[in-house]
Amino acid sequence: MKITKSLRWAATASMVAASALSTGLAVAGPYDDYAGTTLVVNFPAHPHYDAVRKILPEFTKETGIEVEVDQLPYLKMRERQTLELGQDEGDYDLVAYVVFSKADYVYADQLENLARYFMNPKLSDPSYDADDLIDGYVYNIGFAGGNKGYLQGKTGSLFGIPYGSETSVLGYRKDIFEKHDLKVPETYDELLELACKIPELEPGMGGLSSRAASGHHAAHAFLLHLAPLGGRVFDDSWNPTVNNAAGVQAANALKTIVDCGPEGAASFGFGEALGSFLSGDTAMFLDTTVVAGQIDDPSKSKVVGKVGWAMHPMGTRRGSQTGGFGIGIPKNAENKDAAFLLMQWLTSKKGDKLVALAGGNPSRFSTHQDADVNAKFPHMKIFGEALEHADPDWRPIIPVWGKINADLGTTLSKVLTEDLDIQEALDGVASRAKVIMDEAGYYTWSQ
Amino acid sequence: MSAITEKQHPGFYAIIVMLVLMAVGPIVLMFVNSFKLDVDIISGTSGLFFLPTIQNYETALCDVLPYEIEHLDFCSLKFGGAFINSLIIALVSTALTLVIGCMAAYALVRFKFMGRDTVSGSTLMVRMVPPAVLLVPVFGLWNNEFCISKASWFGSWVREEFGGRGDLCLAGTHSGIILIYVAMNLPFVIWILQSFIVQVPRQLEEAARMDGAGPFQVFFKVVLPLIKPGLAAAAIFTFRIAWNEYLLASALSDRDTKTVPILIVNNMSEFNVEWGVIMATGMLLAIPPIIFTLFASRQIITGMTAGAVKG
Amino acid sequence: MSTATFNRLTPYIFLAPALIIMALALLYPLGYMVFGSFRDWDPSQSLGESTYVGFANYITLWSDPSFRESVGVTLKFAVSVVCIEMVLGVGLALLLDRKLRGMSILRTLFILPMMIAPVVVGLVWRYMYHPTVGIFNNSLKSVGLESVDWLGQHALVSIIIADVWQWTPFIFILSLAALQSLPRSALEAARIDGATGWQQIVHIKIPLMMPVLIVTGLLRLIDAFKVLEVILVMTEGGPGLSTEILALRISRTATEFRELGVAAAMSNYLLMILLLVTIIMLVYNRIQEYRAARAIRAIEEEL
Repeated sequence: MKITKSLRWAATASMVAASALSTGLAVAGPYDDYAGTTLVVNFPAHPHYDAVRKILPEFTKETGIEVEVDQLPYLKMRERQTLELGQDEGDYDLVAYVVFSKADYVYADQLENLARYFMNPKLSDPSYDADDLIDGYVYNIGFAGGNKGYLQGKTGSLFGIPYGSETSVLGYRKDIFEKHDLKVPETYDELLELACKIPELEPGMGGLSSRAASGHHAAHAFLLHLAPLGGRVFDDSWNPTVNNAAGVQAANALKTIVDCGPEGAASFGFGEALGSFLSGDTAMFLDTTVVAGQIDDPSKSKVVGKVGWAMHPMGTRRGSQTGGFGIGIPKNAENKDAAFLLMQWLTSKKGDKLVALAGGNPSRFSTHQDADVNAKFPHMKIFGEALEHADPDWRPIIPVWGKINADLGTTLSKVLTEDLDIQEALDGVASRAKVIMDEAGYYTWSQ
Repeated sequence: MSAITEKQHPGFYAIIVMLVLMAVGPIVLMFVNSFKLDVDIISGTSGLFFLPTIQNYETALCDVLPYEIEHLDFCSLKFGGAFINSLIIALVSTALTLVIGCMAAYALVRFKFMGRDTVSGSTLMVRMVPPAVLLVPVFGLWNNEFCISKASWFGSWVREEFGGRGDLCLAGTHSGIILIYVAMNLPFVIWILQSFIVQVPRQLEEAARMDGAGPFQVFFKVVLPLIKPGLAAAAIFTFRIAWNEYLLASALSDRDTKTVPILIVNNMSEFNVEWGVIMATGMLLAIPPIIFTLFASRQIITGMTAGAVKG
Repeated sequence: MSTATFNRLTPYIFLAPALIIMALALLYPLGYMVFGSFRDWDPSQSLGESTYVGFANYITLWSDPSFRESVGVTLKFAVSVVCIEMVLGVGLALLLDRKLRGMSILRTLFILPMMIAPVVVGLVWRYMYHPTVGIFNNSLKSVGLESVDWLGQHALVSIIIADVWQWTPFIFILSLAALQSLPRSALEAARIDGATGWQQIVHIKIPLMMPVLIVTGLLRLIDAFKVLEVILVMTEGGPGLSTEILALRISRTATEFRELGVAAAMSNYLLMILLLVTIIMLVYNRIQEYRAARAIRAIEEEL
């Protein structure tokens, strides 16, 4: 029996030693090869990415990979990226791209196709759960080559992951609505009626504050109303339909909103529109979900705790915007594998929750339902519901869109400030857009 | 200026006070606001009754302050680095422009040579070119053509020593920006210095020449000391332009060579207009020019009037 | 090298660095740009890689309503700004041309606006014009008046005001210097003859200052076309295109729309306008020199 005991002792000891060894070997993690690398990333100056910067130290702690951030205002970021991505060897390992840059970059073959990273067992995390990523966002921001070239479809592939994406939602002052016994608008008719009724009920207060400044801002605001009212910028053969009845209705809606809006509404960029709502000068705000964090921040907002949230009102259908940013790996990057690891970590369940808690925009359905997140940000639940109606096609993502968008925005601004006739203005936009599309070859198959 | 002063109508003094307020007011406003919290600025509390805070300056200078700043989660404004970039670029541009411009001005004034009038006239012509016009070609050239391939011996040496990727192009380097600033400022500096050199009496130079001095010695020992006021004026103007310039710098700089004006414009993001920090950074940018103005106003005025007013 | 050859080469040696730098960084880019205006050119290509399109860029621009509007805005801005600044600057100089205690302090304070970075000027004025936070509207509201949509409806006027604030001191200083260098004898003679202050100004001071004033005005006109950063920071060219001066449009076409060929063509149009102004200035200078030389010769002949 003595022999058996010592044998057993030896066996146990060696088993313990062996398991200790193997655990040690198994702990050699996915990040080991990359610890000590420094990644250079390009982010926009945007509240979501401010939140990302707060959680980056966590990433470095876990993986040993340093991250150096170059944060620029997003138009400047685009210009910088266009330059950098066109070089033979680029400075950035990871870029956050504006959604409509997806078309430019993929078309110019400047972004890495993510397929082979997800296929690489050393890099791809099996617990990633990509189905949890919000569909509308993935197809609008990350997917390319599908239907119409930029939507979901069997011919497409993933080039980026949505990060810092936003949809549109209606924020309203609960106190004002209670005071005048107003109903939260659910349709566009109700919304427009309220927008002009509120300034009469509360003198000095605007109904709805919206972006309206010339260029991108006015175009964005217009498109917000176009999709729910049943319109589309192009039909299936790429003919501009922005000047049809729905388009005119949307432009009229915008004009009504701006006319009944707060002081100076016609020149509001996004910052001013938000500022007007935050300082209590307007009763409603219809724009991106990004603002939620700031509304509850007492150092920036005077309406803390007074704001309720509802879904983007319905016209003939529900369709809130999908927009924001996605992250992708440039083809000319130096540390692509490490960049992929960063991308995966940031958009993993854990990373998404961290960024949501820090005030950013989650990209996953689960984060919106998460108890901790909802405890800190009760509006997340409604946002989650709104996301189910997020419309990936509210805005075409084609390379020539930038020009058409700029023209649309400048024309609409003239409608708002110089009282240009709406049908005439939209007809002008449609005809100019047609010329641009023709030059770009969109009518090659319909001749 | 004579010591006799005349008694003036009180209304006159009122006008003067108003003018001074108008001239200096906005700057004082910026100064005062840079010490207020955003909340105070937005609510428009009248300027004098508030608790001054240096929070805005702390946020701006967060990368050079030795202590941790509690109200910031992360340091986004790299003002210290930008300040150093601005300083390097402005100082080197000024020094180079002065030296080169001075020599050229001297040559144009003193020597009769072929093509002198064309050169003189063309410096005036070049002055009319707006920086925006230069933007297009400079953007293209500095990025694509004025490059040393990284495969060449010089290129590969630089890449090994200093890191970085891709071909060695002028864009994104301090030298690239300095080059364009020097080129932009040369016409004006030459023009100013010409009118000063013209006033140096030839006899002095001829005396020195007869004593056996070569042309370089005449230039450095005789002419230069006499045009010091002109040099000062030219230096101030060149520094001011190099320090304040935004357009070309923003086209030609990358994340390591950002200058202060670029930082300020980048900071005016549409999402979070932090007025306090913006005012603080504006104030920091304005300090060197303000110092120059207060201490060297006479030189500045001399520089401005030189050439325009034929004395 | 003998001293004689060295001496002959000296001017070229002195001139060389300046010429090299200006050739490399000014003339070559300008030539490049003129060349580039005939091509369809993208920022990621060097000129050789772009395609030749002849005068297409120029023709497109000529019929482009946005371009026309931009030219209109530029001309309106430049002319208004120069006129207002000249009137104010000269007026102030005439007003302040007396022996005052503390004149040098006044002058120092007055030139402050010119020395501040245009970016900062744009910043401060944008703050002051802000619809809710800005000091102008706040003051208007506190006296019970309606607030004005400065940067919206009256954007062009607002930027003109900001530019006048920044550059009137320039005209003021130059006019003052001109005034103070006027021959006192002529003024004394007029005063003895019983001319009133106003008559002195109109018939003596201004005509004598004319040469300087014209040069100053033309200089300021040339500079007015260069204004960009102030407008960029204040309105970014908006609303619509109402404050998009040509320089701003060029920079947008280059960096935002990425059409370098079109931007180059626009730059050429702008340069042509400026060339016209500069030529006028040169011609005027020549006429002045000619007249002065003739006057001197006339005096010499009399003697």
